[in-house]
Formats: sequence, C-alpha cells, structure tokens
Amino acid sequence: MIDWTSWMDYGFMRTAFLAVLIITPLFGLLGTMIVNKKMAYFSDALGHSALTGIAVGIVFGAAEPSTAMVVFAVVFAVLLNRIGETNTASTDTVISVFSSCSVAIGLAILSKGGNFNRYAGLLVGDILSITNREIAYLAAVFLVTVVFWLLGFNALNASCIHRTLARSKRIPVRLMDYLFAVLVALIVMLSIKWVGILIINALLILPAASSRNLADNMREYHLFSVIFSVFSGIVGLLVSYYTNTATGPMIVIIASVIYFSTFFYQMRSGE
Amino acid sequence: MKRKYGFLCGMLLGILFVSAGLTAWYVSRTDGGGNEQELTVVTSFYPMYIAAMNVIGDTEGVRLSNLSEPQTGCLHDFQLTPEDMKLLSGADIFIINGGGLESFMEDIAADYPKLSVIEAGKDLAILPGEGGENAHVWMSVSAYRKQVAAIAEMLSELDPAHEAQYARNADNYQKKLAALEKRQEALAKQIKGTPVVLLHDAFVYLADDYGLAVSAEMNLDEERQISAGEAAEMLAQIRADGVQQVLAEESYGKDLGEMLETEAGVQVLYLDVLNRGVYDADSYLDGMQRNITLLEEAFGEKQGE
Repeated sequence: MIDWTSWMDYGFMRTAFLAVLIITPLFGLLGTMIVNKKMAYFSDALGHSALTGIAVGIVFGAAEPSTAMVVFAVVFAVLLNRIGETNTASTDTVISVFSSCSVAIGLAILSKGGNFNRYAGLLVGDILSITNREIAYLAAVFLVTVVFWLLGFNALNASCIHRTLARSKRIPVRLMDYLFAVLVALIVMLSIKWVGILIINALLILPAASSRNLADNMREYHLFSVIFSVFSGIVGLLVSYYTNTATGPMIVIIASVIYFSTFFYQMRSGE
Repeated sequence: MKRKYGFLCGMLLGILFVSAGLTAWYVSRTDGGGNEQELTVVTSFYPMYIAAMNVIGDTEGVRLSNLSEPQTGCLHDFQLTPEDMKLLSGADIFIINGGGLESFMEDIAADYPKLSVIEAGKDLAILPGEGGENAHVWMSVSAYRKQVAAIAEMLSELDPAHEAQYARNADNYQKKLAALEKRQEALAKQIKGTPVVLLHDAFVYLADDYGLAVSAEMNLDEERQISAGEAAEMLAQIRADGVQQVLAEESYGKDLGEMLETEAGVQVLYLDVLNRGVYDADSYLDGMQRNITLLEEAFGEKQGE
C-alpha cells in the first residue's frame, strides 16, 4: 500500500516542498501581470537566457554559476525591456532574436569540448539540486516581491491598462516596467535549476491564464492564480516523488489540466 | 457567482483524487515490497550490477538492486532521481566503480554517512581521459577480474555471515573470466602493435589489454559533435599510420564510423562497451565473447592474407 507521508522522511523532499511553497505563490502572482501585459514571450526568453547565464558564469569563473546567472538575468531583462520600448520592429520579433541569440551563445560555450551533457540537467530541472542557501535566496525574493506588489501594484496595473493616462497621473511607468522585468528575471533564475528551462514559462503563464478564465475582478484573478499555482506545485511534487518522474514537468501537467478545465468551464458558461 | 466557487473546489478536489488514485495505482503496480530483514546491496550501474550479481548469486537474505540508469550514454552526467535516493536510504552496501564515474558520490557520502561503500576500482590504475579520468576499467578483462575480486572481498568483510558463499560464487565467476582472458591473450599475441583508431574512451582499456597501438582517439557520446576539422585530422592520422581497423561504439560512433569507412577504406568494428544491457549474470561474459569474436574475425582475415 502506498505510504502518503513517506516523502517527509527525506531531507531533499522537505527542502523541495519548502521551495515549492515559497516559489509557486510568486509564480501565480507575477503570472497575472505577465498575462495581462502579454509578456509570455518575454518571460520565455528570460528562461532561455539562463543557459547563457551559466555559460557566462563559467567563462568568468564566477564562484558559482548561480551568481553569474542572476547578474546576467538582470542585465538581460533590462536590455530586453529597453529593446521592447523602441517601436522599430514588432516586439515579438526582437525578443525572439534576442532569445535565440542568447541560447546560441550559451550552447556554443557550454558545448565546447563536447561536454554539453554536463548541463543537460538544466533543461528538465532537478529538485535534488535545491540547497538551503537557495531557499534563503528564494525567501528573500519572496519578501521583495510581496513588498513590491503591496506598494507598486496599482501603479503597475495602471501603466498596464493605459500608459499615457498613467503617465499623466505621474506614475513612473518605465521604472515600474523595469522593476517588474528584473523581478521576473530573478525568480526565473532562482528556480530554473529545479524547474528546467524547457518548461519554466509554463509555470508563470498557466496559473494566471487559468485564473483569467474564471475571475471576474482583480482580487479573484490574483487569488485563483495563486491557489492554482500552489496547488499544482504541491500535487506535482508529490506525484513526481511517488512515480519517479521529473518534478517540473509533473507540475506543469497538473497546471495544464487546471487550465483546460477552466477553459471548458468558461466556454460552457459563456454561451 | 456561487457556481464558480463550486466549480473551483470541485475541479481541484477532482484533480487531487484522480492524481492520488493514479499514483497509488502506479505505485502498487511497481512496488517490489522490501524486506527489512534483508541485506540490501545497491550498485551504481550496469557492469557493477553484473559483477555483484555473480558474486552474490542466490545467497539468501541479500537483495541486490541497481540505480535507475540513464537510458542513453554513460553515467558521467547522471543525476539521481528521488527513487534512487529512496533506494539508497534503504541500502546497506553501495557498490561503485569509482574513478570519478559516480559524480554524485560526494552528495551520497554526505547524505548517507552510514552507507558502506565498496569502490571496486579503487586499486586499479585509472587512465586519464577527456575531461578528467577515463573510468571504463571494466572493459579490460583483467581489471574487471580485480573488480570482481574486490567486490567479493569487501562484501565478505561487511557481511561475514555469507563469506563462504561469496567466495564460492566469485571463484566460479573468476574461472569463466579466466577462460575469457586466455582467449584474449591468444588473440593479443597475433595482433599486438597493430595501429587502431578508437572512437570511444572505453576502448582505451581494451587496446591496452591487446597491446594495440592507438593512433588516434576520440570519445563520442550523445552530446559530442565532431567538427569537420577534427574529422579531417583523424583521416590524416589514419593515412599516416596505415590504420586499417577502427573500434567504435554502435550508437554514437556509427556516423563517423561510416564516414571513415568510405573515406579511408578502414574496417570499423562496432564493439559493445557493456555499460548497459540485459540483467543477466552472464551478460558480461557474452558481451566480451562477442567482442573477441569480432576482433578475431577482423584481425584474423588480415593475418590470413
């Protein structure tokens, strides 16, 4: 018979559980704004840039790859945002160019000497890689995000709905954009090692997108998104533990099921 | 309004129960059911498993399992799954190859300080290889025999109750391996000093056993892409040394092997590196026999001319 509490006996599972509890509400929270701002592509590019972040870390011999990753992510986010502001080509094209270019650089550096498979784990993620130190980082980012949300959400939302109007109300629209991009970059980088590059974007987008199918107002939108995110995180983690599969994909599968359920609910009730 | 919250709760509960049900079903189907009384021996990967399988044989009260292996390639970059951690947490003895192959050993030593580790390749000369050490020692029959001996000795030390049985089983296996070695030696006399090209790290030990002269070497695995420059260099080397035989591993060396066959007219032998296969006690013997037969055929032809 299956023992539903056996996972608690393992240190790595307790660490992973803690990480999921900290990080999934953030995914749900930030996801709402990413979906509203139509930034899915942007966060995807950020996830992919993690590869280059690691590569850059190795080239410069940084103490550990994750420091280099975070620095690189912030720089990349600012750069991406800056490019997105100029209206020369359509933003999605520019982001795509950026993203492919950064992936290519990362792959080129990491595959030097034919040793890319050493880093292949980053693609699907590995929950065993979470260390106590990373939990501390995650907790810090959690605090920063919550404070940012409490203080800046109205400004962020206003600038998302109508930039010119927001600017006329003396809201620092550009600053909010940059801060938000950097925050997303930080969270993506800190969780990429266990979620995996291939699917991290799904975790940001799916809960918020599902929530949008149900919610009638901003409060519900946030609440549902966080609930979905935490729910898929915990269920995904436990299912992956018992079925011996990678955790990130399992979380995304659960989140996708939620999305499709809400999608059909909305379709039926919309008629 | 109310309907929406009802749907929300229903949906989440539904997903929870369905996933719990499916998980329970899956676990009940795959669970072997461990016995606390048994001595649990875990091996790090295939060749160690086969060696331990022969030493342990049908010894009562000893359970042998292998870590979940990567489906492709070598162990170098393998990451432990939660299932492996569970397996190791219930294990008494962990048999590894050593030589840097088990890159996760540091974590394990820290997480399970009580686990007894047998490093079968500890006393063997590990050759340097690409990116560190070349740990494919089991490809040399003589080295593999020492590994088997080391496993038997350490197992007896850790589990003295079954010492006689381990010794008997190891003895039997050593006899079969000795026959294999004899066959190898006979062939080695014929082919000593022949220049060859190796397309996999593992064959360095094999070439060592036969005294083959390695003209060029490349370690091809799933992520290794060969550049045009490297291929040209290798072709030049083959021509310069008059190499006629290339030793390659089927799954990764095939493309380059075929290219060398057409470009340089060499004969490419696809040998088994014995790092995965069926979980049968004789699979190492069988695999090595096949390798030797292939070599005999290839080099024998040449001798006959």
